[in-house]
Amino acid sequence: MKKTEIEEINRNIYNIKNKDEYDYKIKKGLTPEIIEEISNQKHDPKWMREFRKKALQVYNKLELPKWGPDLSELDMNEIATYVRPKSKLNNSWEDVPEDIKNTFDKLGIPEAEKTSLSGVGAQYDSEVVYHSMREELIKQGVIYTDMETAIKEYEDIVKKHFMKCVPVNDHKFVALHGAVWSGGSFVYVPKGVKVDIPLQSYFRLNSPESGQFEHTLIIVEEGASLHFIEGCSAPKYNKINLHAGCVELYVKDNAYLRYSTIENWSKNMLNLNTKKAIVGKNAQVDWISGSFGSKISMLYPMSILNGEGAKTEFTGISFAGKGQNLDNGFKVVHNAPNTSSVVNAKSISKNGGICTYRSSVKINENAENSKSSVSCESLMLDNISKSDTIPVNEIKTDKVEFSHEAKIGKISDKTIFYLMSRGISEEDAKAMIVRGFAYPISKELPVEYAVEMNNLINLELEGAIG
Amino acid sequence: MKELTLNETPVRTAKNYNINDIKIKEIKIPEKIEKFKNVIIKKETDKDTINENSSKLKLSYGIGKELIEQINKNSNNNEKITINSKTNKKIIIQYKLNKENINLIENIEIIAKENTKSNIIIKYESEEDLKYYHNGAIRIKSEENSEVNVTLINYLNKNTYNFLSIENEIENNSKINYNIIDFGGKSSITNFYTNIKGNNAQNNINTIYIGNENQLIDLNYIVELRGEKAKTNIEVQGALKDNAVKHFKGTIDFKKGSKKSKGNENEFCMLLSEKAKLIALPMLLCSEEDVEGNHSSSSRKSRCKPDFLYNE
Repeated sequence: MKKTEIEEINRNIYNIKNKDEYDYKIKKGLTPEIIEEISNQKHDPKWMREFRKKALQVYNKLELPKWGPDLSELDMNEIATYVRPKSKLNNSWEDVPEDIKNTFDKLGIPEAEKTSLSGVGAQYDSEVVYHSMREELIKQGVIYTDMETAIKEYEDIVKKHFMKCVPVNDHKFVALHGAVWSGGSFVYVPKGVKVDIPLQSYFRLNSPESGQFEHTLIIVEEGASLHFIEGCSAPKYNKINLHAGCVELYVKDNAYLRYSTIENWSKNMLNLNTKKAIVGKNAQVDWISGSFGSKISMLYPMSILNGEGAKTEFTGISFAGKGQNLDNGFKVVHNAPNTSSVVNAKSISKNGGICTYRSSVKINENAENSKSSVSCESLMLDNISKSDTIPVNEIKTDKVEFSHEAKIGKISDKTIFYLMSRGISEEDAKAMIVRGFAYPISKELPVEYAVEMNNLINLELEGAIG
Repeated sequence: MKELTLNETPVRTAKNYNINDIKIKEIKIPEKIEKFKNVIIKKETDKDTINENSSKLKLSYGIGKELIEQINKNSNNNEKITINSKTNKKIIIQYKLNKENINLIENIEIIAKENTKSNIIIKYESEEDLKYYHNGAIRIKSEENSEVNVTLINYLNKNTYNFLSIENEIENNSKINYNIIDFGGKSSITNFYTNIKGNNAQNNINTIYIGNENQLIDLNYIVELRGEKAKTNIEVQGALKDNAVKHFKGTIDFKKGSKKSKGNENEFCMLLSEKAKLIALPMLLCSEEDVEGNHSSSSRKSRCKPDFLYNE
């Protein structure tokens, strides 16, 4: 069968490019004056001003990582770290400026809010332009708002938790985030409250040569539960954009949090995001992750199982196409007895894309009777792509059950032959196998998002196989 | 006294995992080296030849620059073995470190000629409980249609620094099989590299280790597959007791052109003490579509009483 060659996939809705209009755009670069100006623009309290300054000092001291993808093309002197859109925060879509609203309409956010979400936050460039939550959750004491409002209205809670889970000296891009962060979501679920319908925050970066540095802080109190969905996208520009967000999750004793992400940044984006969860006694955090976009991605969500009996599961897929280098994975620290972790990671490489699964499982001395099971599978769709698996497993106690397995290979010729013998074309057979490969991830998502993920897979597969 | 940085991995990861390399602190590298005299060599056939003309090392990886330089400048035992026999005859090299031979720096080069078959046993032992130093290199080239079976036995005492660099080059339709018994050394650091350059070529490695007391075992195995229909199978199993620490870095690298190749890597560690620690980094690197690569790594406590498994 003749192979169809398509140089650039039509990313349709994700590639909507609005005019670069803004209320305020800070000059490019990263200096103490620029950090001071961000604080001025955001009316930061004194402690946050000091925090940003210290974070910049840490950023200047830390080196770029000497491992992973080459980040040398990132020049912070060419990145504007704060872009305020021409919109204030609204709680009605009608009040959001038309071009911005149209973008979110096309991304399906307002529709999803009506049908399958109990709350939505929408960020455009550096600020949240829309936030809303169902009345019954407000009555139950659930807080879901933008971080700027949270700092003003819930300052004590924010101050107690902000960048304590992800300390500012974790790595260079966490320090950068600490210095220039803007936007993001704050969620507080009170003790015992079960949020049955998911909340979603969507992050859209429209402005070229800029960065998005949203901060997500979620606290799920004892016995409470939440499903939080994060989506992100951007139109493609010729120059580099940067995403260095930070997600901090506090899952208290007996609580449950599911954190789902469909990441579809444009292919000029460097996605250097950091996500971490601290998990209490008999609590559980599950990560569902679909990574499709970005030029370079370095993303390794982390669970720290601090409470006895704490659990975590990671289910993720990365799909790297032409020009993409996706270096993703998962980290877990077992820090208490009877903890458990299950990892199921998959990756697909095609058209010269590079997928790396990089992980760490650490089982400390005090994590007696803990269990960890890691499985990763990589699928190569051609011989110009690359797929690597780089897992580190550190075990410090004998009372443990640990296993790790990884597989790498191509689509089985026998399976294609079987499907073709049933009248399915070769192209459709391969697409069907790839969707089946991704099924363990898509089945964990709400149906609308599973459909979105399958559409993304179809988009990525277009022209790649056949 | 020096600090040595050894056994760097072919691909780096975050430095806080402490696995990219191993640092040996406060080590005294012997400078005045006398000829090593306590070596016993036996061979079953005169067709195979052994002389002292092993060539200088030019390793693709190697354990570390400083130790490789030491072998090139100061080796006190050189063995060049040429295999001509086709009937799997044995060659045994036995090094016994003792008070007259406290440093062993050997350079072993083995060339298996086309269509040959051989069985080579290299054994390292220490006679008294002294502090010894061993830094060796073993290179094997297996020419077309040859088979080399190698058994390496490390029975050095727990006061000895044990450093070993192994490098193999495997041509069409040939294979090198290793059985490695790694029981000795205060620090036992092994760098193992194979270039499977030929088609239908194979490299199989079976390693067993036991670590106890304050032993540090650092194994860095790298197998690169370049030829078509090449195969590698790496099995590493062992147990750790007391305060022993083991690092296993295993890399199977499918290079472009290694179509229809297969690589399997399996690492299992049994922990027999609460204080024993292990770090494993089993890597699969792949630049070729039509290959099959698998790795697994596991560890758990013993389900038997330690004395049953580990008789001191």
